Amino acid sequence: MSFLQQVINGILLGGVYGLASAGFALVWGVMNEINIAHAAFIVIGAYASYFLAAGLHLDPLASIPLAMAAAFALAYPTQRYLLNRALPHGLVITLATTFGLNLLIENVVRTLWSSNFRSITPSYVASGIHLGPLLVPLLPLAVFVLALTFVGGMYVFLERTWLGLAIRAAALNRQAAGIVGIPVPVLYAFTFALGSSLGAAAGTMIGTLQSVYPGMGDAFLTKIFVITALGGFGSVPGALAGSLILALIEVMTATYLNPNIVDFVAFVLLVMVLVVRPQGLLGKQFYGEETAL
Amino acid sequence: MKRRLSVLVGGAAAAALLSSPAVLNDYWLRVATGVLLWVAMAEALNLILGLAGYPAFGNGVFLGLGAYTTAVLMNAGWGFWPALAGAAVLAFAFATLIGLPVLRLRGHYFAIATIGVNFALLALVQNLGLTGGGSGLSVPLFPGTAHQLTLFFFYAFAALALASIVLFIWVRRSALGYALRAIQASEEAARVMGINTTRFKVTAWALSALVTGIAGGLYAYWNGFIIPENAFDIVNSVVLFIMVLLGGAGTVFGPVVGAAGLELVSEFLWSRMGTLHLAVLGLVILLVGILIPRGLIQRGGLRPGSVPRRAVPGTAVPVKRGG
Repeated sequence: MSFLQQVINGILLGGVYGLASAGFALVWGVMNEINIAHAAFIVIGAYASYFLAAGLHLDPLASIPLAMAAAFALAYPTQRYLLNRALPHGLVITLATTFGLNLLIENVVRTLWSSNFRSITPSYVASGIHLGPLLVPLLPLAVFVLALTFVGGMYVFLERTWLGLAIRAAALNRQAAGIVGIPVPVLYAFTFALGSSLGAAAGTMIGTLQSVYPGMGDAFLTKIFVITALGGFGSVPGALAGSLILALIEVMTATYLNPNIVDFVAFVLLVMVLVVRPQGLLGKQFYGEETAL
Repeated sequence: MKRRLSVLVGGAAAAALLSSPAVLNDYWLRVATGVLLWVAMAEALNLILGLAGYPAFGNGVFLGLGAYTTAVLMNAGWGFWPALAGAAVLAFAFATLIGLPVLRLRGHYFAIATIGVNFALLALVQNLGLTGGGSGLSVPLFPGTAHQLTLFFFYAFAALALASIVLFIWVRRSALGYALRAIQASEEAARVMGINTTRFKVTAWALSALVTGIAGGLYAYWNGFIIPENAFDIVNSVVLFIMVLLGGAGTVFGPVVGAAGLELVSEFLWSRMGTLHLAVLGLVILLVGILIPRGLIQRGGLRPGSVPRRAVPGTAVPVKRGG
């Protein structure tokens, strides 16, 4: 395959990564919480998409709002009544706590529906757009457009709405936000639910591109870590940029070096970026750094 | 007086532990061996997490490194003990080499870097011919009956766990321990006082890796067969971390209590509910983080709770160091 085709593949893969990591970056950026359970919400989205397709013959694109609503309903009380209590103890404690949550959800899924690999195959799964010698596959293109839409929508939401303004205020200075009457714990719950529902939306689409199984979220989460390191921890636009960088590096490594060393290269990159530029390749932190409840 | 009492209690516990094969059957000896494996590793993690306050989230990587080093060397014809020594040396050297750049990072940056190291080594071992890749590696069999095997590994892990506890007590009372606690209290102040913080942090992490690497070597020989996904499982790292937090970081017996408690709960759940046991384990971890983030055992003056608290954003600014 030509170099240009590899670039297209890389960019489209970057769209998948971007969709998967946007919600994770949002939660990190707003309330300084590393949400390992983001992986579990990807899994929930993928299973929702699978069962809606298998049972009701619903298109994966149509199942996105349903999957997002389910994830939102599960995530909101989880943050409001459980994870908010872990926040004051610092980022490492939230890392451990959400890891527990992830283990819990993932293994409930495994117990309910086994570890079997399942697949979602919409009718247009193999179609694509031909541009001369190049091929742009339709499904990844749809995911790419979705990623841009969601990240753009989130930007507009955070910058142009009152709720977005309140979230940014809570992220910048929790105490001051509380003093002027912003219900910070509620906003944190809302942000977590929003981030998790974005993860579920990513899951519905990822389910069409690869197998659906309980461990699929973990595989993505490791990449999300690398992406957020590249783009700047907690930065949503940075996550999109980091996704494109990682995807291109992965595709090029697989094509021109060795497909087996893709993950190794990614993690060495993660450690190197941390050591050289801990704030991420693309600049600074998202909104605030202070978090306490 | 209090010290003499704790020495007495500790000695009695050690004596009871070493004589327990007289009363326990093989099943319970194996359970106890598993507990001792975790106690050894948790107390080793306590060196860097409890004393220096550095959240080493990926310490399980040294378990995998030790396991694979021992397996590869034994398959190359080495005896078990030389291979175990090789594992210890390699784990120590690897932590020193990685620690020099990575231990410059503070708080969650350091935590994430250690996760990255864990995954990088997993990816490497999965694809090396030397390590058998993803299909795993078998280790030469222990010569002897099943009962002898059980006894051998019980005593081996008991010795390692006791050594790990003694090492922690010794380090804490040495100049190294004081330097590490000074680093936890305020790294800048420690440096201004003339403490070579890099050297002490790296030494603490390398010692932690040494013990964990030996645990990995014993684990490989005990199991007889290792695969990358188990030896380098990130779950090992996180469970280890939770054990130290649960018991109380920075205390001598906190990690022992945490490791024994969580491993026994895990074993109990595993025998009762099969695949669902991981879900319940997840719930336990979740509840520990929410309800007792500062651990069961706390000590005046040392402030074990300050370990996770130091990772609070704002204090967790990465420090660029000259030279």
